Amino acid sequence: MTRHPNDGVLRRLVDEPLGVADTDREHVANCPICTEGVAMAQKDALFTAEALPAEADVDVDAAWRRLAAADPGRAPSRTRRKWRSPIIAGAAVGVLLAGAGAAAAGDWFQIFRTERIAPVTVHQADLMAMPDLSSWGDVEITSRPQIHPVGDAAAAEKESGLDLPEVAELPRGVTGEPSYQAGKRISASFTFRAAKVAAFAQKQGETPPTMPAGLDGSSFRLTAGPGAATVWSSKQGVPSMIVARAVAPTAYSTGVPFVTARDYLLSLSGLPADVAAQLRRFTADGTTLPLHVMPEEMTSEPTDVGGAPATLLSSSDGVMSAVVWVRAGTVTLVAGSLSGDEVLTVARGLR
Amino acid sequence: MDLALAHGGKDSVALSRRSPVARDDLEQVFRAAYPRVVAVAARVLGSRDEAEDVAQEVFLTFGRSDVPAGEALPWLSVAAAHTALNHIRTGKRRAGREQAARPHEATVPDVADAVVAAEERRRVRAALARLPRKQAVALVLRHSGLSYAEVAAALDLSPGSVGTTVRRAESALRKELTS
Repeated sequence: MTRHPNDGVLRRLVDEPLGVADTDREHVANCPICTEGVAMAQKDALFTAEALPAEADVDVDAAWRRLAAADPGRAPSRTRRKWRSPIIAGAAVGVLLAGAGAAAAGDWFQIFRTERIAPVTVHQADLMAMPDLSSWGDVEITSRPQIHPVGDAAAAEKESGLDLPEVAELPRGVTGEPSYQAGKRISASFTFRAAKVAAFAQKQGETPPTMPAGLDGSSFRLTAGPGAATVWSSKQGVPSMIVARAVAPTAYSTGVPFVTARDYLLSLSGLPADVAAQLRRFTADGTTLPLHVMPEEMTSEPTDVGGAPATLLSSSDGVMSAVVWVRAGTVTLVAGSLSGDEVLTVARGLR
Repeated sequence: MDLALAHGGKDSVALSRRSPVARDDLEQVFRAAYPRVVAVAARVLGSRDEAEDVAQEVFLTFGRSDVPAGEALPWLSVAAAHTALNHIRTGKRRAGREQAARPHEATVPDVADAVVAAEERRRVRAALARLPRKQAVALVLRHSGLSYAEVAAALDLSPGSVGTTVRRAESALRKELTS
């Protein structure tokens, strides 16, 4: 009889028998010791397969979008992911804090309409410290933008109901035919919950300020969009320039005086003092949307586009720039792997 | 900066700085291999969310590499196994998210089962982390469907020794988890 094959060969007989030499297979078939060895190997293999299950249910499209949007200098970290999902909440808190004015009883009442965008400096560390709105109440996204590619500019305009601006002259390095995207209106609501506020404060080891009467259970609603975008892609399929337009964010309240909600939010711990101070400055007329700018990553400066006040943002490494402005209830963005001058030239030349 | 403001969150139009990737075939490879790569990482981590984070890291690295497309799957699988094992060793966890996600898992009917399942996952992760690295990677790759020849090529082993390596790993894992 031939010598006993080693454990590795017996293991391979379990799941890849064709890879085992005929002589070994014949030996095992006639050798009680090796047959027992194969049975043991099979048992361990089965045990391992059960211990290492893998769900295969993944959304490849969503995963691809995430990769395409990833910052090249930074792997997609848990932090990024954590903060990406409540971005609606982030926008909502911005509107809530920046908006002002009207108090009304009864039905939804418009309390804020974006007419201007102003940058608010938020250091990365502060952003980490700032609790998202779900710590203070219930956030519900009632409709999602469902941004999707469309065939041409006419289709994008039809879906969004907006005129997509045309670029007079493409900057150097941006070439080829653009693609078009359209997105539906997004709608999110926020309802104050005294119990959540108390629980959050307790976790922080603090006592929350007393909630004003009527605030518990009162709701705010934010809507933005629909919108459309023209996207020029680089050879690698990543956008090199985007011109996007959307119906600017508007907020509504169910009736509690807005100033009550705003002051209460501002009095809660977690919001960095300088951010709160900056936000307070915007509260006068309920028309200025704060745009978070992380000074570690972006610098911002005021500018103008066709007479409208605009904000020019540039990445600290000088690689990316964006300009954003609001006119007649629509917000327009020109952004790309371009210099500040280049995006401004494009923005000012839009037709 | 909330560039996503007007459109909102993950559905927004993605605007990247200079491309994170330098290869034209990335999307094609990604779409073909992503589920497999997630599955490799999930076998190590026992958590799909965490596995997807690992897969993203791995594809970003792949995107900057010049690995031939024909060798992409074994390369990505090895990278996913190593990165996932590194996550365990460096203690990277998303405990909060796992906690939050657990009640929604359809396969976990109640809290008691959830606790048992979580404990089981923790033990498997710990056991994998204690195996010699080559054994752990070979084990995960073989259980992810790579052939003996592919595992051998990926880990620079002789085809004959893959079976031995996997066998040792399985035996050690069972002993550790049933002790």
